[in-house]
Amino acid sequence: MKIIIAGAGEVGSHLAKLLSREEQDITVIDQDPGKLENLDSNYNLMTLAGSPTSFNTLREARVDQCDLFIAVTPFETSNVTSCEIAKSLGAQKTVARIDNHEYLKDEHRDFFTRMGVNHLIYPEYLAAQEIITALRRTWVRNWFELHDGEIILVGVKVRENASIVGHQLKELASQRTFHVSAIKRRHETIIPRGDDSIKANDIVYFTTTRDHVDDLLTICGKINRNVKKVMVMGGSRIAIRFANLAGDEFKIKIIDNDRDKCRKLAEKCPDAEIIYGDARDNEVLRDEGIDDVDAFVALTDSSETNILGCMTSREMGAWKTIAEVENIQFISEAEGLNIGTIINKKLLASSKIFQLLLDADSASSKCLALADAEVAEIEAKPKSKITRGPVKDLKLFRDMTIAGLIRDGHGMLVEGNTVIEPGDHVVVFCLSGAIHKVEKLFN
Amino acid sequence: MFRYQLTINFPMLMRVVGWLLVIEAIFMLMPMVTCLIYDESDFKAFLISAGITAGTGLLMTFGIRSHHTDMGKREGFLLTALVWVVFSAFGMIPFLICRTPMSLSDAFFESMSGFTTTGASILQEIGHFSHGILLWRCLMQWIGGMGIILFTLAVVPMLNSSGGMQMFNAEVTGITHEKLRPRISQTAKSLWYMYIILTIALCGLLCFSPMSVFDSICHAFSTISTGGFSTHDDSIAAFHSTYIEIVLTVFMFLGGVNFALLIKVVTGDPKAAWKSDVFKLYIGAIAVMMVMFVISIISRGEMHGIASVTIDPLFQIVSTMTSTGYTVTNFENWGGFVLALVFLMMFFGACAGSTSGGAKLDRLIFLWENTRNEIYRCIHPNSILPVRVNGKVMSFDLVNKVIAFLCIYVMLIMVGGIVLTAFDIPLVDAFFSSFSAISNTGLGAGVTGYGGSYEIIPDAGKWILALLMLIGRLELFTVLILFTPGFWSK
Repeated sequence: MKIIIAGAGEVGSHLAKLLSREEQDITVIDQDPGKLENLDSNYNLMTLAGSPTSFNTLREARVDQCDLFIAVTPFETSNVTSCEIAKSLGAQKTVARIDNHEYLKDEHRDFFTRMGVNHLIYPEYLAAQEIITALRRTWVRNWFELHDGEIILVGVKVRENASIVGHQLKELASQRTFHVSAIKRRHETIIPRGDDSIKANDIVYFTTTRDHVDDLLTICGKINRNVKKVMVMGGSRIAIRFANLAGDEFKIKIIDNDRDKCRKLAEKCPDAEIIYGDARDNEVLRDEGIDDVDAFVALTDSSETNILGCMTSREMGAWKTIAEVENIQFISEAEGLNIGTIINKKLLASSKIFQLLLDADSASSKCLALADAEVAEIEAKPKSKITRGPVKDLKLFRDMTIAGLIRDGHGMLVEGNTVIEPGDHVVVFCLSGAIHKVEKLFN
Repeated sequence: MFRYQLTINFPMLMRVVGWLLVIEAIFMLMPMVTCLIYDESDFKAFLISAGITAGTGLLMTFGIRSHHTDMGKREGFLLTALVWVVFSAFGMIPFLICRTPMSLSDAFFESMSGFTTTGASILQEIGHFSHGILLWRCLMQWIGGMGIILFTLAVVPMLNSSGGMQMFNAEVTGITHEKLRPRISQTAKSLWYMYIILTIALCGLLCFSPMSVFDSICHAFSTISTGGFSTHDDSIAAFHSTYIEIVLTVFMFLGGVNFALLIKVVTGDPKAAWKSDVFKLYIGAIAVMMVMFVISIISRGEMHGIASVTIDPLFQIVSTMTSTGYTVTNFENWGGFVLALVFLMMFFGACAGSTSGGAKLDRLIFLWENTRNEIYRCIHPNSILPVRVNGKVMSFDLVNKVIAFLCIYVMLIMVGGIVLTAFDIPLVDAFFSSFSAISNTGLGAGVTGYGGSYEIIPDAGKWILALLMLIGRLELFTVLILFTPGFWSK
């Protein structure tokens, strides 16, 4: 598939790297040759220095032959303009990153389609949605819904009190309401076998169907605490979006150390309470009642501040913590540090774009990227190796597992005796890099 | 997803080298078949060589397990340099065990000279060698001309990754590496298709000449790769054919053009050639040289008929500039000025991204623009003057890199020459051989009047020249970096 990415910023380069590993034809356009240099010499893709809104540059990039045009420069208007030009030159599908909630409304969709923009990506909005999901389900670390929620993937940190701790997976198999797909222990992700056991402080990734999600609560020894009072550190764009999206579901208090910003926040988030102060100062936190809040969300521009802020607030009494971590290297560290949920705009935006790819190329595509494992939804082709018998007889690789499948629109779990039929959408967990081996099984 | 790699991934390197050896073994089958056609005993030599090469290759590929397949910058440099050495080492086996065996130093020199398309030869009487050996020499040049790595990138899917990207950067000549298509294997394939089409066209044209089919194939291989091995002692002069000279001139010229540019011109952008400063300089340089050659030929009274002031000098100019190294009959008689011009052409060579050697005209443009700017700045110290190539402003880093390249290049010629004089080679010949090796021209040592071929150079000198050829072919940095402690330490 030919994909052109305009803008080699954080989201753009992250996407380019991921997609070039996925064996896609990638061309990256950016005005600044300095930003392209590293990509060009280290990754299997092509770069082109030039303005993404110039007809000549886009023609040179062969935009007429591309299947997907992704505009992710920091400027909303140039993204929309370049998509418009790309579409008029013959791009199949276009995606623009935007910065304005208004554009996402259904009534404006026609307008953008007419302009030649097929999809809009709004990373801050995705992040705000992610925060709300995390606050509604405080007991999970990660929550993914596949195929409209037919299959649900849940990452939970289990503690000593969980009933499954210490048990081997084969003992748990009798319950048949969930599938343990992966275990993250310290910095390593394990694809477990029957004789692996679950230890305290593991993050366990379960695959289950909609009806059985609540069972997980019991076996993990968790209770879903209802979150009401939320304290937000840093009045970033995500914070504003979150406050607006949440409405009156939560009682939000935003702390920021910039007076002008606070004034703006007060204007933009009428329902939230705005505090002018430094959230790194324990007294400010105590004054604002940190011991009483249900959740603490750190959304400043600095990943380090967010991580440390969450840890402090946890010690001071916050039940659930959420940190925005933009440095991808820090994510794995932060997960180990007892931070409830990590938000990363880049990963969210690229996940979203992967899903768009999935729509375009329905045969197979990765849909979610965890820190060092991948979850893919792959359609089994007729006569492929995977359909040749019950799963337990297939001699699958050690670094993959089949978590569930969707047959005729209904989700079901996979057991040893399940036979995969052609046309099934199979949810596969695999360690990073194994995806190509996995895809071969399905073709 | 983020793994910091500090040590070099040797198992993976070995596996890739193994793969490449299998490919080399497949190429060896071609001279073997030739031997069988001409009913020569050397087919055994090729059979054994192919067997050894394929055996080692398969053993390395399947015998070694690598835990991870990542290859970074270091692996890219090391692998590229290693592959060229290993290819030459295995490529020399037929020379060692053929009917008329060579010594180890001779065989390695010949083999390295082949793969790097230098075309310097130690063979005295070529007629004694079997057709298989002659074809193998030319085939080596053909493989090396476009690049061993580039060929494997096109055919081995395993390398279609960022590791392959590093190897591409380490092997392909030029200052910046133009990619034609997003995936590296597609770029490699396009370049190779172009190369194969040119070879077939040339071979077809040569078949209409006094050459035999065998000679046509061999010369097609060594001409398009701008290598310069021939099947006759007298090289091209043996055929006494103006037609051959014209055809070869045209194809040597094409071999000296950036292949990416050729592809652009062929695939619907004919104007691209005239937008390229390097191409314009290439044509201009040939024209200027032509005028000077003709003047000096006439002034020395060496004008014998029309050919000696038209096609002969043109052939010589293109042959030198593209680092092919064919010579016309009475080149020695054209005088010292012509020889000096030959030095100049050898130094800069033709366009980057072609099969030619030398420092490349691209760098001459950088040097010229930068020198002009520096001089202008003496009077206007505050002026900001960019170096512009093809209408695009080049960064100062790039200009620095080019200047550094040229300095190292000159230094290496000097060092090579000085070391060679230590082996009792006359001063001028020592420097000329060193120069000829690093620029991959391979003009015979005979040019300076020191014996007919490189055979006369002592063994140690041959190894040094072979190293210089490798350094020159991989454009200095890829090989030189291996000799720095920083490359090996964590």
